[in-house]
Amino acid sequence: MKKNPQTVQFTINGESKTFITEPDEKLLDLLRREGYKGAKFGCGQGTCGSCTVLMDGRAVYSCLLYAMQVEGHEIRTIESIGTHDNPSEFQQELIDGGAVQCGYCIPGMIMSATALMENETHFDDETVREYMDGNLCRCTGYEKIWSALRRVLDRQEAQNTQS
Amino acid sequence: MKLCEFLRPASLSAARDNLRELGTKGMILAGGTALHFMQDHTPVTAVDITRLGLSYIRPDGNFYRIGATTPLSDIQRYRAPRWAMHEICRRISTHQIRNVSTIGGNICRVFPWADLPVVLLAMNARMVVYSDHENEYSADEYFATQPAKRFLDGNILTSVKVPALQAHHGFGSVKVSRTTAAFSMVTIAAVLELDGSIIQSARIAAGSAIPFPRRLPNVEAALVGKEAVSEVFKEASTKAARDVPWRSCEGQSPEYSQHLAEVSILDALERAATFAHGRAE
Repeated sequence: MKKNPQTVQFTINGESKTFITEPDEKLLDLLRREGYKGAKFGCGQGTCGSCTVLMDGRAVYSCLLYAMQVEGHEIRTIESIGTHDNPSEFQQELIDGGAVQCGYCIPGMIMSATALMENETHFDDETVREYMDGNLCRCTGYEKIWSALRRVLDRQEAQNTQS
Repeated sequence: MKLCEFLRPASLSAARDNLRELGTKGMILAGGTALHFMQDHTPVTAVDITRLGLSYIRPDGNFYRIGATTPLSDIQRYRAPRWAMHEICRRISTHQIRNVSTIGGNICRVFPWADLPVVLLAMNARMVVYSDHENEYSADEYFATQPAKRFLDGNILTSVKVPALQAHHGFGSVKVSRTTAAFSMVTIAAVLELDGSIIQSARIAAGSAIPFPRRLPNVEAALVGKEAVSEVFKEASTKAARDVPWRSCEGQSPEYSQHLAEVSILDALERAATFAHGRAE
């Protein structure tokens, strides 16, 4: 098929950038091509959640978005959350809890958890499941990931109650 | 589906002009998730209508009007007196999909397993379609055949009007799926209008395990004029086989599909009766 380059401009991890893309290119492919390799290709059909990023603060599957769709939006990837030397609170809990095996699903898990923590103030189990049920893990059986997240949420909820 | 170009029209009329000009080479994009799964690889031009102010939910007389590009997650989170659409939206796919997928995308091209057409049929919703002016279609008319045919000439669904349920109305929906995010095995929705304990009218609709979402007139007829009690609901649910041949899907036999439908109808009717008698919002 004839190539038809177009440009798309959006904010990525706080920086406004313009990218050359194709109408058919998925956001995930653009992100990985441009070096944001934390978002992973898993199923490619919006099931596993390993490609989860935030669009305007909401968790979305970047494999089910055309890059052109995010024009003018604010995209956040796992690269905005923490670093190897300075992990986020949830990342540290995952490490401390031994909740990571192959690690492939973890960036998506963290992005969904970030959406949860930034959009909700009460973290009952049903709400947490709602935010996290679009992320699959084939290694851990979820228990340690859930426990790590629960510890962070319980602390955050306690802080919310105090303030 | 292969996209060869991506257009962002500035107005509804410009979008319609684009679609009319493109004909079968144009594809409207309201959320876009379904486009990734279409097997036709003929290159098409996407016409993005997500920036035309069609994402909203607002009261409108005796209706709630939902803009066509309103994400399912917004419908799920919306609350208003006797609002019921959030229940089924919570059950559609995953959080990530609901943040992108829209009501318009869900009902412009209806797949057999789609949940929203079932609910909109039961609720007697009205669909507003823009051509050079706005036309309204009842759910019965709109879902009589594949709605996609209605949009071949560039027309655009702009909103869905969901009736505000009255105090004596009850709504119940049931979706059976293997996992939270899985496609439906059977979806049932029921709206009952009660006069005291007597059923004045009933609208029952089904989807999945049948070729296309539709109402169940024999089930409805078995309810009208009767008392809203479990025995009546159970008897009515057995009429489901008269309305439609239930089919096998995803490893379940036709007999199992029918059984699942009957149980789900009973459950949906119980929920509708509870709703009508006053549920916790």
